[in-house]
Amino acid sequence: MIKRTGAVVEFSEVTKRYGALTVLKPTTLTISAGEFFAIIGPSGSGKSTLLGITAGFVELSGGEIRVDGTDLSSVPPYHRNLGMVFQNYALFPHMTVAENIAFPLRMRRLGKAEIQSRVERVLDMVRLHGLGGRRPAELSGGQQQRVALARAAVYDPLLLLMDEPLGALDKNLREEMQEEIKSFQHQLGCTVIYVTHDQHEAAFMADRIAIMRQGQLEQIGTPRDLYERPSTAFVASFLGEATLLPVTAIAAGNGQGDLQVRLDGGVMVRASGQKAAASSDVHLCVRPETIRIAPLVEGLDNIFAATLEDRVYTTGSVRYRVRLHAAPHLLTVRVPTYPGIVLLEPGQQVMVGWNASDALLVTGS
Amino acid sequence: MTGSLWRVVGTGFSAFAVLVLIFLVLPTLVIVPLSFSSATFLSFPPPGWSLQWYEGFANSLDYRIAILNSIKIGIPAALLATIFGTLAALALVRGNVAGRRALSALMIAPLILPQIVLAIGLFPIMVKLGIVGSYPAILLGHAVLCLPLVFITVAASLKSYAPSIELAAMTLGANPWNTFRFVTFPMIRVGVVVGFIFSFTFSFDELILAIFLTSPATRTVPRLLWEHLNYQMTPVIAAATVVLLVLTLSLLVVAALVNRSSASGRVRGANEGAT
Repeated sequence: MIKRTGAVVEFSEVTKRYGALTVLKPTTLTISAGEFFAIIGPSGSGKSTLLGITAGFVELSGGEIRVDGTDLSSVPPYHRNLGMVFQNYALFPHMTVAENIAFPLRMRRLGKAEIQSRVERVLDMVRLHGLGGRRPAELSGGQQQRVALARAAVYDPLLLLMDEPLGALDKNLREEMQEEIKSFQHQLGCTVIYVTHDQHEAAFMADRIAIMRQGQLEQIGTPRDLYERPSTAFVASFLGEATLLPVTAIAAGNGQGDLQVRLDGGVMVRASGQKAAASSDVHLCVRPETIRIAPLVEGLDNIFAATLEDRVYTTGSVRYRVRLHAAPHLLTVRVPTYPGIVLLEPGQQVMVGWNASDALLVTGS
Repeated sequence: MTGSLWRVVGTGFSAFAVLVLIFLVLPTLVIVPLSFSSATFLSFPPPGWSLQWYEGFANSLDYRIAILNSIKIGIPAALLATIFGTLAALALVRGNVAGRRALSALMIAPLILPQIVLAIGLFPIMVKLGIVGSYPAILLGHAVLCLPLVFITVAASLKSYAPSIELAAMTLGANPWNTFRFVTFPMIRVGVVVGFIFSFTFSFDELILAIFLTSPATRTVPRLLWEHLNYQMTPVIAAATVVLLVLTLSLLVVAALVNRSSASGRVRGANEGAT
C-alpha cells in the first residue's frame, strides 16, 4: 500500500473584510503535503478566520485557496471533503458515538456493512472500542475529543483542520492528547492545520508554526527557527519568554554577524543579528535561559554586575530578575533546579553574562 | 432576632403567593360545580347535582359542529404557524439577516398587541378578498396569532446549543437540507412540537378573531359559548366550558411532558456543546 501523504494547501492573497474592517490582510502561504502546521496568535489575530475560510464557513473577500491544485473558493463546505475538529467537539448529542462517526459515511452513501466496519476500525484507532453505543454526554472530555477526531477522520480526508481542539481539557490530559493526535496524523497520513493560542502546544506538535497578529502573518518557521531567530519583538515575546532591551545605537563588531549595540542608558553590548538603523522599534532580545550567573560567567561576551530583585521557584526552574548596575535594565534569568540547589537571595549582588550569539536584534513593536 | 424576623417575612411572602394563585385559579374553577348543577340557570352555589347539562352538551348539534369547526380551524392554523414560525426562527437565530433584533420584535408583536387591533385590521382585508366567514379567513388570522408562539419555542431550542454542531455537519458532508434533517430538526423537535400544541390550544380558545371572521357555518366553540351567553344562560355553557378547559389543560400537560422527557435526555449534551 502506498503511504498517503496528505494534501498541499496554497493560500494566495487570501483576504477577509467585514465592511470597512479588514480581519485578514492579503495572506499568501503554502502548506506542504503531510505537514503539521500550527497557527498561533492572540484573540482577534485572524487565525480562526483563516481556518473558517479553509473550511468554507467564511466567504473570501479576495484571493484564492487551492487544495492539491483545486481552487476551493466556490466549493461549499460540504463538498470540500476535509475534516474539522472543533474546540467544543460539536458532537451530535442526539446520536450515539457510533452514529456520530457513521454520519459522514452515511452522507457519502456508503453501504451498511462498509460503514460498520469503518466505524469499528476507527473506534479501535482512538481506543474507544466498545463505547459505540454510548451517548456523547456519557463520555469524559478526553473521550469526546477522540470521538470528534474519529468522526473527522473516518472518511480519510487529506486535510484535517483543528480549532483549539484541546482548549477545554485539563493540562495532563492535554499533553496526552497532543501525543495521540500526532500519532493519529501519522497513521492517517494527512495534512493538519492546527489553530491554538497555546505556544507550548504549537511548538510540541507542529512541523512549522505561523504566528499571526492583527490580521496578518508575523513570521513562519519551525519551532526552533521562531524561538532562536524571532524576526520581531512580538514573535520573541509571544513564543517563550524574552527580555527586550531598548537600543539606541548599532555598529558593526569584530566578528562576522557580530554587532556592537548601545542600550538605552549607555551600556555597550555585543550582539548578533541583522544590522539596522537604531530606532524605538529595535530591541535586543535575550532569552532567560541563555543568561548565566556567576561563577558561570567567565569567558562570556557580555558580563555585568547586577542586583537580584526577586526570585520565583517554579517546577523545574527558578526565575530570577536582576537589575544591571550600569543602566537600570531589568533582566529575566531562568536557571534549572535540582535537589540541593543553593538559591540566591533578593538583594544579593551578582555577576550576570551572556554570549553575543544569544543576544539578537529584533525589529517591530 | 433578625433570623426569626426574616422567617416571618418569608412566611408572609409564601402565604401571599398562595393567595395570588388561588385568586388566579379559583374563578376558573367555579365553573366546574356550576356544570353539575340541577338548576336550569347559572347560579352559585348549585341547589343540587345532575349530569343533565353534559347530556345536553353531548346531544347538541350546534356544539358538535362548533367542536368540529374548532378542530378544522385549529389544526391547519397550528400547522401553518409551525411551518412559518420555525422558518422565521431559523432565519433570525441562525441566519445572517440584517436588523434581526427589530425583526424578532416584530415576530412577537401579534402576541403582545391587543387581538382586537388585529381583528379590526383583518376584517376589511378579508371583506375585500371576499372570504369573511369562510375557513381560510379565520384560519389565516389564527395562524398569524400563533406564529409568535412557535417562533419563541423554536428560537429557544436553537439558542440552547452551539451553532458549531451545524457547521460540523457541513464539514462532514451534509448539504443544507441534510444538515436540517439529521441535525437541526432533531435538536429543535421539542420546540416545534410544543409550539404546535401551544398554537392549537390558543386557536381552540380564541374568541375575538372568531367573532369578527367566522360565520354561523364556521363558528368555533368559544364563539358559540359567547353567543349562548347572550341569549340563554343555561348550565350547558358551563358543561361546554369544562370540556374545553379539560381539553386545553391536558394538551398543555402533554406539552410539558414532551418538554421534560427531552430535557432530561438532552440538556446534558446541549450543555457540553455550549462550553
